[in-house]
Amino acid sequence: MGTSRNVERRTILKTAGATAATLGLAATTGCGGDSGSSGDGTVTLRYAWWGGEPRTIAIKKTIALFEKKYPKIKIKPEFTDYEAFWEKFQTQASGGNPPDVFQNAVGFLRKYDKRGVLLDLKTQADAGNLSLDNFRNGILANGQVDGKQIGIPVGANTMALVIDLKAFKKAGVEAKFGWTWDEYFAALQTIQDKLKIAGDTGYFAIMYLYDLYLRQNGKAFFTDSDLGFTEDDVTQWWTDGYKRVKSGLVADPKKIEQVKPKSGLSAGLAASEFTWDNFSIRYEGEGTSDYGLAPIPTVDGKQTGQYLGSLMLSGFSGTKHPKEVAQFISFMVHDPEVGKIMGYDRGILATTEQYDAFKPADAQNKGVAAYEDEVAKAGVLGKITPHPSGADVIEAAFLRIGGEVAQGKTKPADAAKALFSEAKAAFAG
Amino acid sequence: MTLVKEAPVRPAKKRSAAPVAGRRGRRRENLAGYLFMSPWIAGFLVLTAGPMIASLYYAFTRYNLFTPPEWVGFDNFTTMFHDPRWQKSVEVTLKYVVVATPLKLLLALGVALLLAQQRRGQGLYRAAFYMPSLIGASVSVGFVWRALFSDDAIVDRTQKIFGVDVGGWIGDPDYVLYSLVALSIWQFGAPMVIFLAGLKQVPRELYEAAEVDGAGPFRRFWNITLPMISPVLFFNVLLESIHAFQVFGSAYVVSDTRCGPADATLVYTCYLYQKGFKEAQMGFASAMAWSLVVAVALVTAVLFWSQKKWVHYEEAAK
Repeated sequence: MGTSRNVERRTILKTAGATAATLGLAATTGCGGDSGSSGDGTVTLRYAWWGGEPRTIAIKKTIALFEKKYPKIKIKPEFTDYEAFWEKFQTQASGGNPPDVFQNAVGFLRKYDKRGVLLDLKTQADAGNLSLDNFRNGILANGQVDGKQIGIPVGANTMALVIDLKAFKKAGVEAKFGWTWDEYFAALQTIQDKLKIAGDTGYFAIMYLYDLYLRQNGKAFFTDSDLGFTEDDVTQWWTDGYKRVKSGLVADPKKIEQVKPKSGLSAGLAASEFTWDNFSIRYEGEGTSDYGLAPIPTVDGKQTGQYLGSLMLSGFSGTKHPKEVAQFISFMVHDPEVGKIMGYDRGILATTEQYDAFKPADAQNKGVAAYEDEVAKAGVLGKITPHPSGADVIEAAFLRIGGEVAQGKTKPADAAKALFSEAKAAFAG
Repeated sequence: MTLVKEAPVRPAKKRSAAPVAGRRGRRRENLAGYLFMSPWIAGFLVLTAGPMIASLYYAFTRYNLFTPPEWVGFDNFTTMFHDPRWQKSVEVTLKYVVVATPLKLLLALGVALLLAQQRRGQGLYRAAFYMPSLIGASVSVGFVWRALFSDDAIVDRTQKIFGVDVGGWIGDPDYVLYSLVALSIWQFGAPMVIFLAGLKQVPRELYEAAEVDGAGPFRRFWNITLPMISPVLFFNVLLESIHAFQVFGSAYVVSDTRCGPADATLVYTCYLYQKGFKEAQMGFASAMAWSLVVAVALVTAVLFWSQKKWVHYEEAAK
């Protein structure tokens, strides 16, 4: 009896120990992702971005460079694709555990500023930890909301028409600066007649392009807190778009859908696509033709409605190491070596130090530089306005509903109603 | 009458006869048992029960993850019922359940009937047919499916031989859901194994007797096999319907994370995911989750109620 009692006691103790250990382990792993400082004064920062493999390889090189220069700061990288990035970020941020430094974009500034997630880097600049000098074309303003500097641009890009150069040449069509929408659609007709392929991949579901069209007409997609157009406006835009799908000027949406995540242009389904200018570099690797940049069509032959957008770096307002965050961002946007490594992957380099250091060698990078130069010289660049909170949800809705119109599943007027109703919910969220 | 009265008395007598030390020992044994179970109990409370209770609360709030949840009563539910996309997701899910479940079970039963017969290499066949169920839920299979059913891929080309030109199922809102149905049917291995086990239980004498009476194969299947395996059939119908209501992974991957085109594969859980994790409307998503729980419970209840009419539990046959 005595023995059995001892065994029992031992069993109980062991069980209790194992349980405590398991719970303890769980508790430790729960904290495992935290950044912080170690005993020897080394600080670890978490740095997160989205993008493809080439970007990740380049960024890791720049991190190594930074760690060499600042041996007391270690960088822990986190990266995914765009969709997964923002889903993960939302959860992390709501749990008070977002990365210390992260890639950001204009559609998310107000959203996360409203939720108190973004560090105001102006105070760090005032303290001398971050330089706000030497940004090209006034692009620093892209990261400002209500007098705060919550994003530091790493590059600049603008919307363009990426064209299949071979197809345009074969059809004898020329894309010229200041051409009108009518001229653009006439060009698509020529391409369709001569080459028997669609001219465009599906322009009317791209929020950023519709924004340019609205700007050409004295409006904009967003005001500070609402949509800047009417149901009638977008009904007209989608009605025209659907007509062009039916006539074959715009590629069959069923086919475009199936080549995703590849673009319809690089898959050879159409001869042109509206997108950000730095995407032409990606398409060159993805498709079999040669791709170039052409100007945005206009209403009056002058105003394109364009502005310089950009990717930025932001810091987490609750970081334990705001000084180091600022030092890291400053290094990443100003250091010439970093500029040489990154090239135009995230748009034309934002600061003069980096812009001067990188000399594009290939036709694609040169093409992007020349295009932006031309746009800047033409004096058509307008000012970007940070999108209201909820803009990311509305962009996804615009793309989805535009797709439904293209597929003939929703009538343009009903689609417009649905967009406005979803936008209302997104602004309230 | 006497027996019934005596029955509960016997164990009571035994219990009272047990020595005090034994009782203590049993208590200790129980304690050890609970301690061994405690990691699981803790896990259940923290990871399952806790979040469920929290989500029930959130279902009655407006909650965007950042600002504290705000109590709105039944607002989420009324908004949900009036939301055209929610209605669409219900429609898509019901269509999927109604088409995929019977087809999958028919195939599973058909193959089980073939494999129930004694023949050489039977084990190999069983393993081969079961294999897709093991890998079917993986993301990679979703990608393979996307490739198979795309424009000018193998399915499209085969169709064209027969003069049917759809141009790929994945991009077409009218067809894409059926590619998901095909994926579900392809994973018929699990219900098939259960059917096999059921078929093995049917006494051979019944078939022999029927044969003597001159019953053909169809008659034997209809009058002997089906009634005898009806409990197994009921189990499979129940399990597969519940699974079908919860379909997510395949819809999410095949439609390249968008549950489309044109919301054609917007199954219920896909919309729930979009609302919760893309749009940060956790209150709405929780309301959707609890509505699904209630709906599945109702379907289960209806199935249990209906079994009285068609499921035969023959004690004698065992």
